[in-house]
Amino acid sequence: MLSILLLLAIEQAPDLAADTSRTKQLDPVVVTATRTERHVGSLPMPVTLIGQQQIRQSGSLRLNDILREQTGLAIVNDHGQGLQVQGFGPDYTLILVDGEPLVGRTAGTLELSRLTVGNIRQIEVVKGPSSSLYGSEALAGVVNIITANPAEGVRGSLSSRYGANQTSDLTTDISLRSGKTGLYLFGNRYQSGGYDLSPETPGTTVSPFLNYTTSGRLTTSFGPRLKLGISGRFFTEQQDNSLATVDQRLVSGTGRVRDYSINPVLTQQLTDTWKLTYRYYHTGYHTTTKLAYQDTQAPYDDSYFRQNFDRVEIVTERTVRNRHYLTLGAGYIGEGVEATRYPGRQQFSTRYGLAQFEWQPSTRLTLIAGGRFDAHSQYASQFSPKLSARYELNQGLAIRASAGVGFKAPDFRQLYLNFDNAVAGYSVFGTQEVAAGIARLQQQGQIAEVLIDPGRFGAIRAESSVAVNLGAVLDLRKAHDIPVRISANLFRNDIRDLIETQVVARKTNGQNVFSYTNLSRVYTQGIELDGSYRIELGGSQLTISSGYQLLEAKDKAVVSSIRNGDVFRRNPETLLTERVNRSDYGGLLNRSRHMANVKLFYELTKSGVSASLRGIYRSRYGLADRNGNLILDEASEYVRGYTTWHLTAAKTIKKLTLQAGVDNLTGYTDPSSIPTLAGQLWYASLRWDWAIRKSKSN
Amino acid sequence: MKTTYPVLLLVAAMSMLQACNDDDTSTAPVLPVQAQTVTNLPADPTTPSSTTGQPPLSTGKYTLFNLRDNKTVVNTDSASNKWDIGFRGTSIIVNGGPIRSGQGGAYVYTGTFDELTTIPTSATFAQDQSPSSLAIPSVSGAGWYNYNSTTNLVTPIPGRVLVIRTGDNKYAKVEILSYYENAPAAPTSANRSRFYTFRYLYQPNGSMKLN
Repeated sequence: MLSILLLLAIEQAPDLAADTSRTKQLDPVVVTATRTERHVGSLPMPVTLIGQQQIRQSGSLRLNDILREQTGLAIVNDHGQGLQVQGFGPDYTLILVDGEPLVGRTAGTLELSRLTVGNIRQIEVVKGPSSSLYGSEALAGVVNIITANPAEGVRGSLSSRYGANQTSDLTTDISLRSGKTGLYLFGNRYQSGGYDLSPETPGTTVSPFLNYTTSGRLTTSFGPRLKLGISGRFFTEQQDNSLATVDQRLVSGTGRVRDYSINPVLTQQLTDTWKLTYRYYHTGYHTTTKLAYQDTQAPYDDSYFRQNFDRVEIVTERTVRNRHYLTLGAGYIGEGVEATRYPGRQQFSTRYGLAQFEWQPSTRLTLIAGGRFDAHSQYASQFSPKLSARYELNQGLAIRASAGVGFKAPDFRQLYLNFDNAVAGYSVFGTQEVAAGIARLQQQGQIAEVLIDPGRFGAIRAESSVAVNLGAVLDLRKAHDIPVRISANLFRNDIRDLIETQVVARKTNGQNVFSYTNLSRVYTQGIELDGSYRIELGGSQLTISSGYQLLEAKDKAVVSSIRNGDVFRRNPETLLTERVNRSDYGGLLNRSRHMANVKLFYELTKSGVSASLRGIYRSRYGLADRNGNLILDEASEYVRGYTTWHLTAAKTIKKLTLQAGVDNLTGYTDPSSIPTLAGQLWYASLRWDWAIRKSKSN
Repeated sequence: MKTTYPVLLLVAAMSMLQACNDDDTSTAPVLPVQAQTVTNLPADPTTPSSTTGQPPLSTGKYTLFNLRDNKTVVNTDSASNKWDIGFRGTSIIVNGGPIRSGQGGAYVYTGTFDELTTIPTSATFAQDQSPSSLAIPSVSGAGWYNYNSTTNLVTPIPGRVLVIRTGDNKYAKVEILSYYENAPAAPTSANRSRFYTFRYLYQPNGSMKLN
């Protein structure tokens, strides 16, 4: 017990120890922004924190449910439901669980509905590039899911929920801790009957599925200075697909997903000022798909995908005069993939080192400088620096600024894909396969003309961005006891070397051979505003919060082509060609210029009643080109803007909580453009929290 | 197939005019020529008609077209100057090159149809070198169309004009408007493909002025 207390005391930053418990409550601790524990209000970069209470009050089940309600975040649907941050696609945000990356992306998207929120203690979202700490994929930001720790005593919970579309969720957890050792176990079963928004066409919009998640953590300590935690996670899902092909034939079969991880972490407090953390992480992601035409039983898709990821890391933290913090780390990542469309088993590795120094020259000013060097086995090394600063103008107002570099490594598909489309006749090769692929096709006499030397593709570079975030936070709670917090953030990201498909050769059948190369430069920029206000009336409190993001995301090459008068479009009425004006260009697809939310959380503590009403707005966004010029420039190419409203109400009696809610209150749908938006969904849930021994507060 | 005949009148007028002062063609006023539209020109369609359920018509042969007369030419005349341009699937051929009998050629101009009023003397015309190396590249993104592998749709690229030199050294410009039957504004995979709708302007007097 003593050792845990000691460790807790040390993990608390010494300069923060003087804070009252009230400020701690108002300003919770996050770990993602600096890899050390910091109060969210003291950070020089924009961080969103979503607590367990908010997740429960919102009636969320999966990660996408809660993330879609946050300012500046959008859930976009492309091979799964992924996250858009500051106008970046889902490939560019790193998703971590307890600081370790999730793998298993399909065409760049990590399916967020794979993650249940039942074992989440809090979600931390850091916006802006964080490659200086986390390496590849952290261009737009980082989402870190912090899962529950064993609590004192013996306690647990059981909750069940049923709702529209035959959707059921069963969640249970148990936590044990005695002395130095604690154990947390979690289990979840989630099932849905799916739904069909367009019954007139064959197949279903979302097919029925069933998944299970189990996770656990064991924590213990050896002596006063050595602490061990072992976490594990296992996820399995089966979906009974039924879908229509382009030529309206029905295809059916099963898809399976498996995902697991194990993560031991050893923390060693060498002295009061030196701390060492040793981490090991292993994770795997396996899918199999077996789809066949229903009429002929001929196979449509019979494929598998297996990815594994291993990482060892050692990080030291040094505290200097209780005010300055130095973090140094080094690690090794080994990754492998085996799949139907890749030749053999492909592996690559990364070695990296990172350093960060947090310097407080005065009580008002914090400066953080850091950088990370990644040496990769397949492409050029990458250095990602970041500099950020925060200055407190007065007790309630602080300004912050950060500038940094982010990158995303070419993925397995871009490196190793080896795919001939038998139906359409084209071929796609990853950059490491294209030379051999072209040689093979040439030998078979399938190549009419080689347009670009295939040898050139091997030198592919990582995609990278330079970003600036500038913001201010006005927090009147501490200094003036006015329950108001307002923050603003301006951002600009300049992304270069975006990897896109490029025609390498023409085949004798008139189709192309594609590979991947560094092509585009794009920028995203915008403003994010957030505000919250809390009204206390007698025993009840109402929290009103609202957020808004203005976004512009454009391809620089398209902007300059339009300026040069080289971009045209076909008039849908006359079919004649017109020149596109600069004001017509709507930027990258799938980005809403305006996004806003308003959230009301009400709580009557004494009688255990709570309720919430949340409204989420997305302005129109581009879906696809319709007039032949491959860019977004015409009203018919947009999905209409829309608002969804979500309502919950809950009542707690002793250990039981009954919650009922309606998602998408108005039942808004757009079947052809937004298949993931199932109409109005009602649900009811019952939760039982139990404890055998009373917990001792620390 | 809808056909319009103003060009015939023009040709008639031109020949009369030339008959009046055939001694000095250089000072002859060049009459404006008019653009015309051809709709639903079949280019070896492979899908059966949805209305009649007729079996596929595919023959593997090009539909040959005479721009001056605005009409199709029988395929047996392929080794003559009777045709100027031919269509089969996404491939468009011209009457010039080692595998053709005429002196024609073509290039792809980027701009609007109306802006292209005169072919610059510096323009270089490519020819059909082989069935897989045509003057107008039959490749998505490189010639006149884009192919979307997700939707399986062929879309003419806006702002691409095919500049044609015919087998007998006359000039024309062609803009493909649609690849689908009845030229729907937003075609889907349900529409029958390999039906060209295009507008063109043919200059019968041999000059490079195209308005």
